[in-house]
Amino acid sequence: MAKDMTLLWGTGSPPCWRVMIALEEKNLQGYNQKLLSFEKMEHKSQQVLDINPRGQLPTFKHGDNVINESYAACFYLESQFKSQGTKLIPDGPAEQALMYQRMFEGLTFYEKLNAVIYYEWYVPEGERHESALKRNKEALVTELKLWEGYLQKLGSGSYLAGPSFTLADVVVFPTVGMVFRFGLSPERYPKLGEYHNLLKERPSVKASWPPHWLENPKGQDTLKDI
Amino acid sequence: MATDITLLWASGSHACWRVMIALEEKNLQGYNQKQLYFEKGEHKSKEVLEINPRGQLPAFKCGDLPLNESCAACFHLECKYKSQGTKLIPDCEEGRALILQRVFEVNALAEKSSSVLYYNWRVPEGERHDSAVKRNKEALTAELKLWEGYLQASSGFIVGKNFSLADVIVYPAVAYLFQNGLSEQRYPKLAEYYKGLMNRPSIKASWPPTWKNAPKQETLKDI
Repeated sequence: MAKDMTLLWGTGSPPCWRVMIALEEKNLQGYNQKLLSFEKMEHKSQQVLDINPRGQLPTFKHGDNVINESYAACFYLESQFKSQGTKLIPDGPAEQALMYQRMFEGLTFYEKLNAVIYYEWYVPEGERHESALKRNKEALVTELKLWEGYLQKLGSGSYLAGPSFTLADVVVFPTVGMVFRFGLSPERYPKLGEYHNLLKERPSVKASWPPHWLENPKGQDTLKDI
Repeated sequence: MATDITLLWASGSHACWRVMIALEEKNLQGYNQKQLYFEKGEHKSKEVLEINPRGQLPAFKCGDLPLNESCAACFHLECKYKSQGTKLIPDCEEGRALILQRVFEVNALAEKSSSVLYYNWRVPEGERHDSAVKRNKEALTAELKLWEGYLQASSGFIVGKNFSLADVIVYPAVAYLFQNGLSEQRYPKLAEYYKGLMNRPSIKASWPPTWKNAPKQETLKDI
């Protein structure tokens, strides 16, 4: 039950967003939650470390079950609450397999994005190289083209694994949300743009949209030229 | 059916190894398989690209369905073959939560191991820094301490009293560390886990062939 759940989260963090979308989709609104600030290093605070020794967000508890890895939490919520809310794992074998495949490719997508937009967060000043950032951008472009291709093949209005919204969308959409927040050109990536427009109207996505993005609708332009 | 399954794999790749362990555990021996060699660039060959456009191994197909991400393949196999072989994801709530947690935490372990083991492979010469190497080693040490902690009360498995999906995913990463010289004295619980499962049929059957007669590397001996 939502009242037995606690989520510690940060705004604009795709892993946190994934769990929030899953909670909304499974009709688990009303969970206990607390918004923490990465800038103030609150993810390393005692209240987080008590539940998550890695000092990371999201940090999620359901009763005594602690599940801090966002994908694990999403799988868990789908299996615990299979009979309520949206069915997030389709029955059809082809769709299901495609869902799993895209979910795990989503991890690569997220890593390649971070390697560009958070380059300076991850790499101390004395170790930064233009050549490395250039390479990371090229890797991100290759990755974006792959996803553009996946969506192209499925046709307009499709979700990542086919005609239905699945866990693949729960875990990958936040990354897509980020790429456009950071200025990706929808003209250059029309299929991703279309997918973004489709999902951003979905109630669970709207309900969990990062609050600081609502406060500052203008994002960054780090990705506008890639 | 095993004959509808195809796996292209490389020895020593822990992603490939996970899938092979899962296939064994689900009694799917007899699947079509081919060993390829990274050194010969075979992961970029046409036969791989036809299944996996990323040109990576494992390249895996279950019937017509490509599942090249190793965890995707493992989840799919457990789901599809739920009623045969070992039950890799239990029905009970608590066991399942912790198994899922550990399965996804392996990303951190694998990533931190790779940033130490493959530093020179990943980072071109002009971009290497001793400070980065040092930081990567410290991160790996911290990560290993976490896993050593998770195994303190272990009955031989990563979670609970039974072999699960968490072991399928975690074991290859741990074995890889010891193959690269991780100290058994410094990490006794990890060593116990590693040795304890070495002779499990699915693990023995899929043990990387290139490790069988090769000397252990020493890259991690000082971690």
